[in-house]
Amino acid sequence: MTVTEMAVSTATRGPRFVPGTSEEQQLFARHQQGDRLAREELVRRFMPLARSLARRYDRSSEPFEDLLQVASLGLLKALDRFDPEMGHPFASFAVPTILGEMRRHFRDAGWSVHVPRGAQERALKVRDAQERLANERGRAPTVQELAQYLELGQGEVIDALQAIQAYESLSLDAPRPGATDEATSYGDAMGEEDSRYELVELDATVSAVLGRIPQRERQILRMRFVEDLTQTEIAARVGISQMQVSRLLRRSLDQLRALTDTKS
Amino acid sequence: MIAAAPNVSLTLSNQPENVLLVRETLSGLAETVGVDGVELNDIRTAVTEACNNVVLHAYEGGEGPLQVELYLAPAAVEVVVRDHGTGIRPHIRSEEENALGIGLSIIQALAPRVEFKDVEGGGTEVRMEFSTPGTEALAPLAEAGFQAPTVTEAALATTTGLALAPSELAGHVLPRVMCVLAARARFTTDRISDAEMLADALVSRGFQSGAQQHMTLSVQVGTREVELRLGPLGGGDAGKLIANTGAGIGPVVEKLTDERRIASEGAFEMLELTMRDKR
Repeated sequence: MTVTEMAVSTATRGPRFVPGTSEEQQLFARHQQGDRLAREELVRRFMPLARSLARRYDRSSEPFEDLLQVASLGLLKALDRFDPEMGHPFASFAVPTILGEMRRHFRDAGWSVHVPRGAQERALKVRDAQERLANERGRAPTVQELAQYLELGQGEVIDALQAIQAYESLSLDAPRPGATDEATSYGDAMGEEDSRYELVELDATVSAVLGRIPQRERQILRMRFVEDLTQTEIAARVGISQMQVSRLLRRSLDQLRALTDTKS
Repeated sequence: MIAAAPNVSLTLSNQPENVLLVRETLSGLAETVGVDGVELNDIRTAVTEACNNVVLHAYEGGEGPLQVELYLAPAAVEVVVRDHGTGIRPHIRSEEENALGIGLSIIQALAPRVEFKDVEGGGTEVRMEFSTPGTEALAPLAEAGFQAPTVTEAALATTTGLALAPSELAGHVLPRVMCVLAARARFTTDRISDAEMLADALVSRGFQSGAQQHMTLSVQVGTREVELRLGPLGGGDAGKLIANTGAGIGPVVEKLTDERRIASEGAFEMLELTMRDKR
């Protein structure tokens, strides 16, 4: 069910179908006089609205239960502050109040500066599932297969694939592009294997440039573009994940392009 | 309106799966300019609501175009979501607290400025401006003669049209878009990564060929097959684009694609690339 479908079902289940003059207004009137039962009934009626708003943030970092709790708090605030005399429907007042509560929660949790932990964990789960499924089937899985296996949405798997590229860069020991002295030392350490497998016919400029790419990256480039191996096959040979192979390939191609641009 | 021409223009069908494509495009944009988690979530949530309205209501259950434009201004991001359907304004305006009502409340709560407009010839445009303190404007798509990527009505169901500028933005957006489309074509994660590498290669060289200030392409998704059409390009540029993407280790584009064609269209060239997942 999509979020909007949820909202639709919320609306049809909600108090909208009660004509404005009646029950809902009476409930608000009783609530304003301090009737706890009326308040409870209003909470019950509008909880689907809070739930549908919490749902909209559900692919972020926080567990859904926490989000729902914050949304419910927002709903209570909205109920207590709402003035039916203004003549607006309650939801048009409640939505910004609930969203405001949720955004405050994110800010307070320092969510803007830290990499969301839930998203990071999910990314690692996707990476592990990728390896497991590739082992079982002898080929890399599709996003649909990963989503089914992990009981996630395809969007969440795609978000995770993107995130892995960002997170792993923090934990890798490979030298960063542009770190000249390290790159040179890697270039000096160009192994025997490389001379056996020539990448392609290289002119002097290109060889010089390739020499500045770390050896492991050079090997991976060769396996992909000369030996025509898939990333999953490369991952098995080198002993890293396919996602990491992907990241290293993209980064070293970028580096090569930057270096050849400078040379020419 | 904060700029005459957008930085990203997407022409999509209103299929639900395209909302994900729009969300990934927004993430790429946020990554380019360094918009933080809470702000990005606000933008993604509001834009998702606007797109969902087009998915569910613009064509009365049928299919039709969904156009999305992104503009980067100093300290602001503007997003336009447009359809050519029956118009959703009457629903939005009605006092009924229906799904659209909630969607609208969400958009209004999250976007400091919202504008609804009728589109000439039928349809609705939702224009949302978000404040993103500290971000800078990027050079928009070439303003003179810029046209949204054209995708024929018949091709819309399987084809995505996009135009991007400048290259630093395209470098963050195009690989994400290719990831979504390759996933939709049921590529394996190996081949999805190849599609991202192809996007990297095209962005790194696409902006150098000829006088291209922006990149226009359409991507058609089949079963285990993705076909890219890049252009219009100046005479000779398509060939250069294939030859120059080698990054010093040989023909990368050739390795990543299964077919390459250069088609001429009047004075211009189209570069057509086909990727398959043969697993």
